[in-house]
Amino acid sequence: MAVVERIAGEEEPTGRIAVKSTQRPSPLLWGLLPIGLLLMGFFLIPLSVMVLYSFWRVEGFDIVRDWTLDNYAKFFTLPAYRVVLLRTFLISLAVTIIALVVAYPFAYFLVRHTSPRWQRLFLVLVILPFWTSYLLRVYAWMSILGDRGLINQALLFLHVIKEPIRVFLYNQYAVVIVFLYLYLPFAILTIYASLEKFDFTQMNAAADLGATPWQAFRQVLLPQTKAGVITAFIFIFIPMLGEYITPKLVGGSGGLMIANQVVNLFRGFQFPQGAAITFVVVLGIIVFLIAAQKYLRIEELYRR
Amino acid sequence: MSNQGISRRGFMRLTAGAGLGLLGASVLSGCKPGGTAGKAQGSFNWMTWGDHYVPGQLEKIAADFKIQANPTLFSDNSEALLKLQQVGGKQIDMCSADALWVPVYHEQKLIEPLDLDDFPVSKELYSLAREFKFWTTSEGYLAYPFGWSPIQVAYNPKYVTPAPDSWQVLWDPKFKQRIAMELQPFDVMAFMGCATGAKEPYNMTDEELAKAKQALKDLMPNILKFVEQNVEVVQLLANETIWLGTQNLGVEDRVRDAGGPEIKAFIPKEGTVGFIDGEMIAIDAANRDVARAFLNEAEKAEWIAENFIQFGRPLFNERAYKLLEEKGHKERADRYLYNQPEIALKMNLKGPAPRLEEYINAFNEATAG
Repeated sequence: MAVVERIAGEEEPTGRIAVKSTQRPSPLLWGLLPIGLLLMGFFLIPLSVMVLYSFWRVEGFDIVRDWTLDNYAKFFTLPAYRVVLLRTFLISLAVTIIALVVAYPFAYFLVRHTSPRWQRLFLVLVILPFWTSYLLRVYAWMSILGDRGLINQALLFLHVIKEPIRVFLYNQYAVVIVFLYLYLPFAILTIYASLEKFDFTQMNAAADLGATPWQAFRQVLLPQTKAGVITAFIFIFIPMLGEYITPKLVGGSGGLMIANQVVNLFRGFQFPQGAAITFVVVLGIIVFLIAAQKYLRIEELYRR
Repeated sequence: MSNQGISRRGFMRLTAGAGLGLLGASVLSGCKPGGTAGKAQGSFNWMTWGDHYVPGQLEKIAADFKIQANPTLFSDNSEALLKLQQVGGKQIDMCSADALWVPVYHEQKLIEPLDLDDFPVSKELYSLAREFKFWTTSEGYLAYPFGWSPIQVAYNPKYVTPAPDSWQVLWDPKFKQRIAMELQPFDVMAFMGCATGAKEPYNMTDEELAKAKQALKDLMPNILKFVEQNVEVVQLLANETIWLGTQNLGVEDRVRDAGGPEIKAFIPKEGTVGFIDGEMIAIDAANRDVARAFLNEAEKAEWIAENFIQFGRPLFNERAYKLLEEKGHKERADRYLYNQPEIALKMNLKGPAPRLEEYINAFNEATAG
């Protein structure tokens, strides 16, 4: 429409212009086509199949296509799933908040106090863990946090403890630590992108006008880097809701998350019930994204 | 041979003849789908457990017979059944399964029954292993028999005293976070059933299931983790991260071989469950002949004897027992009941619980924390 209006401003007859605009699709549409197809094939169609499954039932080892709401009812009547979903939510929230709190000052330090050459070096170091596989990184943490791991060995060497203690691995804290390590780079990179565009003379202006550093941060810097913070929140919080491997490897019996329970259901041929729980989580994410959209202008993050 | 000695016409005749010969041979072999597991070469996909082959075995068979096995490991029978249901023989040619799970594969039309006589190596089996009723159908035998074991409780006597003889030891508060089990929800519920006196651990009544669920819930503080493969339980026992775990026969030697401490094991007085496992060929397997040829090589006594030494639980190859005797392992083989395969048929065999949904929800509820 904008294209039509813009062209309509020219001196040519409107009818002819309208034909022109329908004959040649906007380059924007062509640009969106690949991602649209990917989104359709790998997200919308599987999601639709999952939603359908969530309304069917299972008999023995077969899916029966009878419509039912039982699978959702089970989610609300069996407390176990709500408990684990709440735990998943709290772990994800805790990791996200800690990651933001750690990432913001670090990104600020990079932008304000290091030369572009050092910035590049630090940023390479931030993404360095991505050069190895996710699984290897989690296993590496198991060897750090374990009974015979680096931390226990160091504490034993320093005579702080007499025998290995089991507070670092196979519990929720281990899950939080490993998640923090895995997701921190996303927070740093996103907030860095946001801070890099900020005009820091505004902070001086705020100081000149009598603002304390905290006031300047809260009223000048933070509002203008909000897009980066919210994007980092989304990048960390949402994928973590579906995490399976890390809780399985380092969470022990007490650190399991909702995806682990869904996998158990799938293994037990309870596809519809697993699909229903998954859809409840997806629905929660959609609601969250809609709410976040109100505060987020993602284009601000990448605008020069 | 020198090329100079052959005319162009002669060369064409020779190659055409060879081509026709090859074509004829391949047509003939294609006409005989149920034939003897022969000399097929190539690669195939095998969904199995990590203890169904020994280190170096797959490489040696690949080098000697040009048969490349591509194993994918799974944890639970239900997981393997689910995967084969989804992808079928196009992606998985051979699959391992336990006792009463095997007939489920057959009912689901996922496997092709075998004629054991097609496998020359099957002459090495105990005769009893060729006649399991639950694997016998009018179309053939459902799986190639591999190994068996009751599930025992293994413990580290340094920390677990006095010597236990009951499932109840698992609930001792002294063993907080000192127990590991395989992530096999149906089997874990069955263990709980055994511990709480259920008559049929895989077919518990509502009341029995409720008791089993509560037992698992009470046990959770003592469970460190549920692992994917039983070798992980061995590792955790070996490095003394855990002091108790459910395991197959032979765990004592496996832990020692892994550099671990002395480990003992017992069959709980309340009873336990056990497995008889085997290999199944997927229906319409894309590489069925290769998988069958592999089976014929991999099941030979030499490999099975080595597998016993490596993993400890008894297997069904009788000639392997004789090899073990010859090599001085008779005591170990007898200790782990290798020469008494009839005991396998007295166990509560692993199988799918008829009440899948109730079992899996009970497991999830008990382990939710």
